[in-house]
Amino acid sequence: MQENYLLPASFKKWGWSIFVSSAILGIFPLFYNWEPAFLELDVPAIFIDDLIENKAIIGMTNNNILNEICAVLVIIGGLMVAFSKEKYEDEFIASIRLKSLVWSTYLNYGILLLALILVYDFSFMWVLIFNMFTILLFFIILFHWNLVKLKKSVDYAE
Amino acid sequence: MRNSIKVERAKKNLTQAQLADLALVSRQTINAMELGKYVPSTVLSLRLSKIFETSVNELFQLEEEDSK
Repeated sequence: MQENYLLPASFKKWGWSIFVSSAILGIFPLFYNWEPAFLELDVPAIFIDDLIENKAIIGMTNNNILNEICAVLVIIGGLMVAFSKEKYEDEFIASIRLKSLVWSTYLNYGILLLALILVYDFSFMWVLIFNMFTILLFFIILFHWNLVKLKKSVDYAE
Repeated sequence: MRNSIKVERAKKNLTQAQLADLALVSRQTINAMELGKYVPSTVLSLRLSKIFETSVNELFQLEEEDSK
């Protein structure tokens, strides 16, 4: 059966390189406070509220766009890794895909629920930032871990 | 659910990989079905019955726990 909601298998290796490189480029500035000046730009925005004086529904705002670029690329790369077809994408792989997706959703919201009742104030913002990516990350880890387990069980059978 | 895929495969003298190619699935899928870890779709069941020249009912049998 054709799974027409999945990307071609060739997208996977591109997805990995985009995902890993943009994740490194995105995490590194968080610890070293590095923001290249040439990415400091006036950009179009909606719902502007800088907590000081600028409030507008639509307009321009000044921002260093490094983290936006990285976040967009991490999500696109992550989606490419997660939802590209496997070499043999059949109904059994589809069932593993579904199982991994359900467990990664449970895990993601389990951690978020814990964070909701344990983490407060500014620290909670970090939870929200990482939570943008964790469901994809957990799915990628669980799905590939299940595939490795499966491959090992078949190798045993031989 | 029980199945006799392994027996039928032996009768036809096919390896898991050869059966996988004929049934248009991966070898992992054949292995998982033989071990009873995966219940195939109707389409795949019909494909297997065609390969083994046997009926789906002979290839797959319900167990008591399936009726609960």
